[in-house]
Amino acid sequence: MTDITLTVNGEEKTASVPPETTLLKMLREDLNYTGAKLGCDVGDCGACTVLVDGIAVNACLMLAGQAEGKNIETIEGLSTLEEYHPIQKAFEDVASLQCGFCGPGMIMSTKALIDQGEELTRDDIKDALSGNLCRCTGYTKIIEGVIDAYEEITGKKVPETNPRAA
Amino acid sequence: MKPFDFIQPQTTDAALAALAEHSPNVRILNGGTDYVVELKHVAQSPGVVVDISRLQDLKGIEITDAGLRIGAGVTHSEIMADPLIAEHAPAMIDAAHTVGAVQTRNLGTLGGNLVTCVPSMDSGPTLLALDAQVTILGPKGSRQIPLSEFFVFVRKTALEPDELLLEIIIPKENLGKPAGFIKFGLRKGQALALVNAASAFRIEDGKFKDVRIALGAVAPVVIRAAKAEAILEGQAVSEDLINEAAKIAVTEASPIDDFRASKEYRNDLIEVGARRTMQAALAAANA
Repeated sequence: MTDITLTVNGEEKTASVPPETTLLKMLREDLNYTGAKLGCDVGDCGACTVLVDGIAVNACLMLAGQAEGKNIETIEGLSTLEEYHPIQKAFEDVASLQCGFCGPGMIMSTKALIDQGEELTRDDIKDALSGNLCRCTGYTKIIEGVIDAYEEITGKKVPETNPRAA
Repeated sequence: MKPFDFIQPQTTDAALAALAEHSPNVRILNGGTDYVVELKHVAQSPGVVVDISRLQDLKGIEITDAGLRIGAGVTHSEIMADPLIAEHAPAMIDAAHTVGAVQTRNLGTLGGNLVTCVPSMDSGPTLLALDAQVTILGPKGSRQIPLSEFFVFVRKTALEPDELLLEIIIPKENLGKPAGFIKFGLRKGQALALVNAASAFRIEDGKFKDVRIALGAVAPVVIRAAKAEAILEGQAVSEDLINEAAKIAVTEASPIDDFRASKEYRNDLIEVGARRTMQAALAAANA
């Protein structure tokens, strides 16, 4: 077994898991953070996206042991029962999600993108979300949700482009 | 995953000691974007997995006496954001940007991309076109070889089980060498290359000099198109010669037929890719 201490959403957590455990499995089954989802299990779909020291990674591709001492952010860290995070609020307002399975990953990728603090275009957003698949194929409203969240959080505007031309 | 022992050394010496102790029943892990997927599917345990992601010696991008030194543990995202790479080898940024998606680029490393040694690797062509060298550490010390000798076959490199890839070096004389990279996939994100290519050359006195044309996903390893290079070398700059060299490049490759693309289509892509990267290098030379 490997003993692991890490920070999840600001709280120190410990777990003892077999070495062949992924970060995703440890988060979901040992630490009860079930927000990140197991989708493809090979790093293609992004449903398991969490932030490790501020950058978006596929939790299914990182061994739990590699997360030792790291600072993990999951979807559970964004909102309280009383209040949504602005990204969640924007996704709700424009109905970005249908079944919702991709939502935690989409939202964490969006958070990593906005946290970088750079000026964004629609193409930047598409590039940043290209590792997150939505099988309801509702990408248009997801990108609208990201734009609204970015504009709400930063006060900046995403340049207008024809989405069909991009 | 089959059970294995996990070791996470904090120093390169400790990593080498672990490799020596457990070789050959040992595998190296860094970003895991390829190897963790493999671990989920292999029938047999690797024995010991050595995680080298904590080794500071494998980090960093800097100018040294030898040239531009990129630690094997540098991620594709770090390459994309690095000012030294933007200044001295910008085609590497184009190549890094085509790897997987953000999450893969945040974990996946340059060294890992090379060590995995799949034909469609996106880092290979640009580095071959810039005559990159690699430094390997092992029980007998360090050795440096050209990247072209590092690639042996599909998923086979010159690394021994007890060795570690330390760094990639672009030689000093090739810093700022005009170059271009292109990748053709079935879509923009999360795509394996059907074909990728990179070209680099200098223009001196109106003539092509030190021409390099490298092709990926068209042979067991990333290759140089030597006959196509020879078409240009020493000749006066001309678009017609570029077109001719691109046609010749097709004859030097042996792409496969598979569910992603036919051999015929890949051959067309080789010509287009070789041509466009030569045009990009020419544009960079004239900039």
